[in-house]
Amino acid sequence: MTLDPRTKMVIVICLSTLALIYNTPERLLQLLIVTVLLLLLFRIDIRSVWVYLKRFLQLMLVVFIIQCFFTRGGEVLLSLGSVELISSQGFLTGASLVLRIIVVISAALILTTFSSRDFILGLVQWKVPYELAFMVTIAMRFLPLFRDEFVNVVTAVQLRGVELKQVSWGKKIELFRCLLFPVVFGALLKAQQLAVAMESRGFRAYPRRTYLRRLDFILVDYAVMLIFVTVTIILIVY
Amino acid sequence: MHFLELSQVNFHYPKQEKLALDNINLEIEQKSITAVIGPNGSGKTTLSKVMIGVFPATGGKILLQGDPVSELSLAEIGRSIGYVFQNPDLQLFCGTVAEEIGFGLINRGCEPDRVKEKVDFYLDYFQLAEYRNAFPLHLSQGEKQRVAIASVLAAEPEFLILDEPTIGLDTYRKKILEGYLQKIACSGRGMVLISHDMSFVNRLADRVIQMENGHIVDDGDWKGNNGYDA
Amino acid sequence: MDAVTVKDLSYQYWSEGPWVLKNINFQVARGEMLVITGLSGCGKSTLCYCLSGIAGHRRDGVMQGQVLVNGKDVQELRAASLALEAGMVFQDPDTQLFSSSVEDEIAFGPENICLPPGDIRARVDNVLDLLGISSLMEANPYHLSGGEKHLVALAAVLALDPPVLILDEVMSRLDKQGVQRVADVLKRLRAAGKTIIAVEHRLETVTFADQLMVLAKGTLARLGPIETILADQEFLAAQHLTD
Repeated sequence: MTLDPRTKMVIVICLSTLALIYNTPERLLQLLIVTVLLLLLFRIDIRSVWVYLKRFLQLMLVVFIIQCFFTRGGEVLLSLGSVELISSQGFLTGASLVLRIIVVISAALILTTFSSRDFILGLVQWKVPYELAFMVTIAMRFLPLFRDEFVNVVTAVQLRGVELKQVSWGKKIELFRCLLFPVVFGALLKAQQLAVAMESRGFRAYPRRTYLRRLDFILVDYAVMLIFVTVTIILIVY
Repeated sequence: MHFLELSQVNFHYPKQEKLALDNINLEIEQKSITAVIGPNGSGKTTLSKVMIGVFPATGGKILLQGDPVSELSLAEIGRSIGYVFQNPDLQLFCGTVAEEIGFGLINRGCEPDRVKEKVDFYLDYFQLAEYRNAFPLHLSQGEKQRVAIASVLAAEPEFLILDEPTIGLDTYRKKILEGYLQKIACSGRGMVLISHDMSFVNRLADRVIQMENGHIVDDGDWKGNNGYDA
Repeated sequence: MDAVTVKDLSYQYWSEGPWVLKNINFQVARGEMLVITGLSGCGKSTLCYCLSGIAGHRRDGVMQGQVLVNGKDVQELRAASLALEAGMVFQDPDTQLFSSSVEDEIAFGPENICLPPGDIRARVDNVLDLLGISSLMEANPYHLSGGEKHLVALAAVLALDPPVLILDEVMSRLDKQGVQRVADVLKRLRAAGKTIIAVEHRLETVTFADQLMVLAKGTLARLGPIETILADQEFLAAQHLTD
C-alpha cells in the first residue's frame, strides 16, 4: 500500500500516543498486534524489527527489573522469608513499560518506508518553512554521521594495534577521553563543510524554493488519516 | 604458505543485492608489490577492506599467514598489515601530528626516546616538521594524506595496504613516497597498492591485478610492460 | 570585462595566523580555462575558496584585496547568491553530498534557484547523461566509490549552470575513462562561454587548458599560456613539478 508520508507520520503519532496513554499489559498487547499488522501491511520485514529492538534489550531489561522490585501492591509473587520481593502489580507495570517501548520502536519503523526527500516534501507542503524541514533531515543524517565517525576512528585505532578487548577499563576510558576531542571536532568540521557545500549550491538564495517532485494527497490518505485520528481520540476518551 | 590467501570470496553491502565482490581467488606473497587497478566503482577499495576484515566477507575464506581473518581481531591484523585509508579524514584521530605518528609506536610499548627519534625521522622524511604540533584535521588535503601515510609507516608493519596513496599528493611528494616504498620493498616487506595513477603503478609494481565490476579480469607479472590501460 | 579579477589578494585563516596567500593578482577572461598547480599546502584550495566567496565569509578569516566574479565583489554578495555566479566542486567528495539519492543531490541546486519542475528534470537528466552516470541516478551517494562521488558532486554543480566553474582536484579520483569524459565536458563548456578554474597536480590531464598558474608558498610564481610553461623544463624542475 502506498500512502503519503504525511499519512504515515500521522499513523505513527497515533500509535505512539496510545502507547503512552495505555497502561495495562492487555491493552498494550492489543496495540502491539495492531502495530505488527500495520508493519506487515507496509511490507516491513518483521525480522528488521528485531534488529532494532535488540539494541534496546538491555534498557528494557533494566526498566523491567526496576519496576518489578520497586512497585508494590497486589499479590506477592516472590518473597524471601518475610521480605516481599516481587508483587503482581510490579510485574504488570514492568511488563507494560517493556511493551510500550516495543510498540513505540516498531511504530517508528513505519518512518523508514519513505526517504528523507519525501519527509522534506511532506513538511514543506504542510507549510513548514523549508529551512526547518532541511535542518531536521540534516540533523537526522548527522546522527549516523556521528556514529560512522566513531566507528571509523575505533577501526583506525584498532588497526594501529590497540586491542580494545584486552585493554583494562581504566586505560579504555583514558583512550576514549583522548579520542573524544578529535572525533567531536572532526564531526563539527564536517558539519561546517556540509553547510558550506549546501550554501555554495544556492541553499537559501531565495525565501522560496521549488521541488522536482510533489506529493499528492489523495482520497485514501484523507480517509486513512481521518480513521486513525478519530479512532485514537475515541480510544483515549473511552 | 602464502601471506594472504583469498578463496571464492564474495561480498555485498548490507541491503544491496548486487555483489560488490564476486568469487575472488587470490594469493599474495609477502615480498612483492601488487597493484590493484580498475575503473571507478569496480570494487578495489572494497576488496582491500575485505582483505583486512574491516568488512566481513559474505562468502568464501581469507587466510592471513594461514589464519582465517574472520577469527583475528582488528588489532592482530593491524599488527601484521598497515592499512592507509583512501580518505585521510577518516583515520586521523590524535590532537597533534606528532602524536598521530607516534600513536602506533607508543601502543607497541616503544621506549619514549625511541618513539621521539622515529617520529622526528618520519616528520622530516615526509616534510611535515613544521606541522609537528598542528591539529591534523586543520592541514590541507595533501598534508593530511602524508600524515596518514607516515603514521602507518612509522609502526613498520611487515605488510602494507595503501588505498589511492597518491591522491592529493603533488609530483614532488609522490616521488618522495615512491622512494620510501621502494626502500620498504628492498627490505623484504611487501604491499598492495590500490591506484589508478598508472605512472606510479608502472614504476613500483611487480604484479598488477585488474578489476572490473567486482571481478578480477586480469592478473599478471608486470615489470617492463608499460602498454597497460587503467 | 573579465570573468574573474583578483586584485592584491591576501588571506589568513585567523588574524595573527600565517598568510596563506600573499598579494595575488590575475584575471581570467570569459570562456577561458585556467589551471592552478603547485606543491600541496601552497594555497591552491584557499585560492579556490577565495574565488568562490567562501573564504571571505568565514568568521575568523581575514581577506585583503578584492575578488570580482562577473564584475561583482564576492565579499558583498550573500554566500547563497554567489552560487549563481560561481559553482565550486570541493576536493573532499565526502563532505559535499548529503542527499539520499543521486537524483535528489543533483536536483538540490536547481530547486534552490526556483526552477519549475520540468526544467529541473531536464537539467538532472542532461548532466547525468553528460557525465555518463545515468545508471547511478537511484543510488545513494553514500555508497558510491570515491571517483563516482566526485562525478556526482560535479554533476550537482553543473546542474546550476553557473558562468564560472571552480574545480578543486576533481580529476584526481577519476579513472582514465572518467578523466577523458570530464575533459570533453570541460572543453564543451568552455566553447559555450563558461570560464573554468581547475586545481590539478597531474598536468597531463589538463593540457587543453589556456592558462597555467604556479603557486609557491602562497605567492604567484608564474602565470602564462600553459604550453609555454610546460615547455620550460628548467622552471618546472626548480618548482619540483616535473614527473
